[in-house]
Amino acid sequence: MSPVIRSEFRKLSTVRAPWLLLAAGPLIIVAGISGLAASGGHLRDPALQSRAFSHVGLTAIVTLMFGILAVAGEYRHGTITDTYLSFPGRRAVIVAKLAVYGLVGAAAGLVSSVTAIVVTAAWWASQGASFQLSTAETWRTLGGGLAANVAFAMIGVGLGAVIRNLAAAAAVALAWIALVEGIVGQLVGAGLARYLPFYASESLDRANLTAATGLLPQWGGGLVLLGYAVIFAGAGLLTTLNRDVT
Amino acid sequence: MAEVAVCGLTKRFGQLTAVRDMSFTAPAGKVTAFLGPNGSGKTTTLRMVLGLIQPTAGQALIGGLPYRRLPSPRRTVGALLEATGCHPGRRARNELRVLAAAGGFPDARVDEVLVQVDLTAQADRRGRGFSLGMRQRLGIAAALLGDPEVLVLDEPANGLDPAGQAWLRGLLRRLADEGRTVLVASHLLSEVVQTVDQVVIVSAGQLRFAGPLREIGETSQALESAFLSLTSAPG
Repeated sequence: MSPVIRSEFRKLSTVRAPWLLLAAGPLIIVAGISGLAASGGHLRDPALQSRAFSHVGLTAIVTLMFGILAVAGEYRHGTITDTYLSFPGRRAVIVAKLAVYGLVGAAAGLVSSVTAIVVTAAWWASQGASFQLSTAETWRTLGGGLAANVAFAMIGVGLGAVIRNLAAAAAVALAWIALVEGIVGQLVGAGLARYLPFYASESLDRANLTAATGLLPQWGGGLVLLGYAVIFAGAGLLTTLNRDVT
Repeated sequence: MAEVAVCGLTKRFGQLTAVRDMSFTAPAGKVTAFLGPNGSGKTTTLRMVLGLIQPTAGQALIGGLPYRRLPSPRRTVGALLEATGCHPGRRARNELRVLAAAGGFPDARVDEVLVQVDLTAQADRRGRGFSLGMRQRLGIAAALLGDPEVLVLDEPANGLDPAGQAWLRGLLRRLADEGRTVLVASHLLSEVVQTVDQVVIVSAGQLRFAGPLREIGETSQALESAFLSLTSAPG
């Protein structure tokens, strides 16, 4: 393992905060699916099972924050100076963070998926409904959710590298998801809105939270989100390389 | 051995010129004190030497190379900077283990430098529980991790008690006597007289004096009066 990757893993394994943050993912799953099962009632409807699994994609908001913490957290605590003294080219630092946080984002998505399967199976069994794990629909939903977790972790790394102020980066990300994207979507119209990051993630992870119509197909949403990850990663790299660290 | 050469360094932040056409050399085997009032551009200069701030003009070379071109920066240069932080939740030993991984050093080095700075007993404390003195010792340990030829230290005596300052003096002397280059920014003129060979005095971002300490006097009073007259006169 290269020194820069090893040091990034060590940074993560020696503090507790990021793991507490990631633990929010499975909690969202348990609460979300339980809410769906308790209020829905039509557990014999196969579409409802898919909706339950689509909660995995919603936990991408957690990996987004986790990614933001990767860079902006280092600026906040002043450890970024030592990081850049070790790797003065800086490019390797951002690339390593994209890789490591993307990988941990995938692991978080996997844990969320397993949680979703267990919780859904338990609710369905308790109501005497048949639970089908082996459908293609199931795997498409869980796979899309996992991919969204990875993509948003990488978008977070890029965003944290561009904005650098932890509170500001987190506020911008949350404001975009909760408010701004909806407004922008209405301004540009549904034809273009489906290419916005959160709408694209809804195609990918199939959690149609906004009940939007005319979303992209799943593969299209995946490609668009990959594009955003590349754009944010690139912006993070460009703004990091020669910026003064005072 | 590698010397630190600052050649015509200039840094402008917008309208403000923080450092103007600064040139001096910190030779190997000597302790060079970098002196100047608050806001005189010392930290900006050191950060340019370490590749953290891009100069507007000029360059800083370490053994003939800019910091960002050093093939193995942590083996060549050990640095302690004022704003260098610790994660509040990370233990002192782990903070060093992160840096050891980054530099490609074995973990055994971590225990060695902890002994060297007398921090072994507190090594399992988390960042939020560090005193200022402990933070400084940890920073010095981090600087020593790669057994570097060059040490660049910004106000290393900050927060150290008198015993700690005496210890630091001995450490800097020993490091220079081993042939290393030691460049240390400081406010404490009386400390400097007892330790250093070379003096660089700056004011308002400009060089006022660079040369052997004996040229401006080897007593605290002589250094103080030279410092005050060099740093008060404009231009």
